[in-house]
Amino acid sequence: MRLTVNGVEHDIGSPPLTTLLDVLREELFITSPKAGCQQGGCGACTVLIDGEPRRACLTPVAAVDGANVSTVEGLGEPDQLSTVQAAFHERYAAQCGFCTSGFLMATEALVARSDGELQREEITEALSGHICRCTGYVKIVDAVAAAARGDVAEQRASADTEPQGDEAATMIPGSPA
Amino acid sequence: MKAVGARLPRYDGLAHVTGRTQYVDDVRVHGTLWCKALRSPHHSALIRSIDTSKAEAMPGVHAVVTAKDVPHNVYGHLEALGVPADEPLLADEDVRWKGQPIAAVAAESEAAALAAVEAIQIDFEEREPILDIRTAPATGDDHFHQWGAIYPHFGPHNHRRVRKGDIDKAFDDADLIIEGVYRPQAIEHCPLETQVSLVVPEPSGRLTIYSCTQAMYFSMGVVAAHLQWPLNKLKFVGGTVGGGFGGKVDTATETICALLALKAKRPVKWRFTREEEFLTSSTRAPWHIEIQDAVTDDGWILGRRTLTIHDAGAYARFSPYGLTKHAFHHTGAYTIPNLRFDGFVVFTNRVPTTAMRGFGVTSVSLAVELHMSRVAEQLGMNPLELRLKNANRIGDTTGNRVVMHDPSTVPVTLAAADVADIELGDEYKRMTQERRSGELLPEHLVAQQAPEGEHLATYSGANGGGR
Repeated sequence: MRLTVNGVEHDIGSPPLTTLLDVLREELFITSPKAGCQQGGCGACTVLIDGEPRRACLTPVAAVDGANVSTVEGLGEPDQLSTVQAAFHERYAAQCGFCTSGFLMATEALVARSDGELQREEITEALSGHICRCTGYVKIVDAVAAAARGDVAEQRASADTEPQGDEAATMIPGSPA
Repeated sequence: MKAVGARLPRYDGLAHVTGRTQYVDDVRVHGTLWCKALRSPHHSALIRSIDTSKAEAMPGVHAVVTAKDVPHNVYGHLEALGVPADEPLLADEDVRWKGQPIAAVAAESEAAALAAVEAIQIDFEEREPILDIRTAPATGDDHFHQWGAIYPHFGPHNHRRVRKGDIDKAFDDADLIIEGVYRPQAIEHCPLETQVSLVVPEPSGRLTIYSCTQAMYFSMGVVAAHLQWPLNKLKFVGGTVGGGFGGKVDTATETICALLALKAKRPVKWRFTREEEFLTSSTRAPWHIEIQDAVTDDGWILGRRTLTIHDAGAYARFSPYGLTKHAFHHTGAYTIPNLRFDGFVVFTNRVPTTAMRGFGVTSVSLAVELHMSRVAEQLGMNPLELRLKNANRIGDTTGNRVVMHDPSTVPVTLAAADVADIELGDEYKRMTQERRSGELLPEHLVAQQAPEGEHLATYSGANGGGR
């Protein structure tokens, strides 16, 4: 079997009924899709298969032989985020981060087929299969709407903890800043 | 203080949105074995015999551990705070909750580990389980805990007590006695990342432990105590938690992985399945809370009697500490001068309960706020005006003798009324947090008011000051 993952072709050695999640995580060491429930209930393992969001934990690898698979590793780099990644980062849509990969991939697909404006109902409907147990849903929905509008700041090349533009450096007592 | 009010990026945000955050399950170490546990299928049973020989002989199995492999099996998470040890790492003579671990296996694959667990032969003698805190103390059975049905170690008492003022006089003086029963239920934390750890034996003889714990030094102490090792032989790697909410204060997997790793001389990982997380990981406790308030027709709460029963599940863990916090907060954001609080930690054959967001306090806050609304309804008062009248004010003294310096009840309640567009009477609109005087200092509140400038704080830990 063969898979193209984030543009790179791989020969797959796992048995055919291995889940795509296990192939990605345990054979290819691509770990952004998470094993949250392994029964299709939480959305943390969501990847794009030929552009469509799918549960990697419920997908036998043989069923997607030859497919194009996209994961968060194939989106943007830290200094060159995709619009969806930037929107999630800027709008604090990731808390513990464990569900974030799944939300990002589902949002990439949703934004790709939207025409620039998404109503909150459309967003919550499209992401209803995803659980954030930190319950940061308001910020997630805000981020998805912003991503659909392209409403993100210019990408900055500076490291995450550096002061940015006119922002003050952190002055928390004891911090190295 | 330039950080306050500034819009700073999350320090871990870029790693989260690029999929680069390394959670425990994302760590890859060559030769890692999978752990699976044999868990009790019964709520309560004696263990007559355990035979692991078949499992040990199976292909791909590298180690099996039971209670006899644990250097120090019974350890308490809060021994340093005076809560004695009661819970074995692996069940020895009996099992007290469905899902309690009895034995664990390390094997080449999850499937091989599961097959080996199936091959462990174990002979149980089932007992009648006790699952209801309201009836547990009355059964007279003592088989479900070595201390009996009620946790007995609150100083000289078998329960947490608060006594203040003259409770009998308050109830004699009351126009009305208003009662309520409140029963917040158990809640599973349900983090998306289930309990997981990876333990790697190092050539130096140390162990490197990748842990999802919320409490690194706590977990280090627990592992060190069970192994009877010095802390400097343990290297904990953590701080990245895929959701915890209190449930990852318990050390669920690290110690058993460590024992298996030492026996197999290979790295061992244990990642709970979602089923294990739901069925066997600790939960927020269910509670039974009864409140009686002695009130006057014009809305003063003269006294409160409270009976609380806290479901510890099968072992004590953090329950005595949670109940103590619960006791401290049983008047809520309000000042009540005469108190009698009795809180019991009761054992059942349910999964042990533990910390969860606002541990011990959310349960009593729910009960108190529902009860305040009930009092207002029965008096025909605006519920916010009742709260403002009885609100904590500067100089007020709580049930456990803490003097209020900056209580926020009044400003918060006024803000809530504003947001909810609830019209208040003029005397309530004008209220502040300042010390009581005039009509707001009636006879029954004079004695509870601390003299100006007095600072008393008696937070007494889990077991101290058992008054």
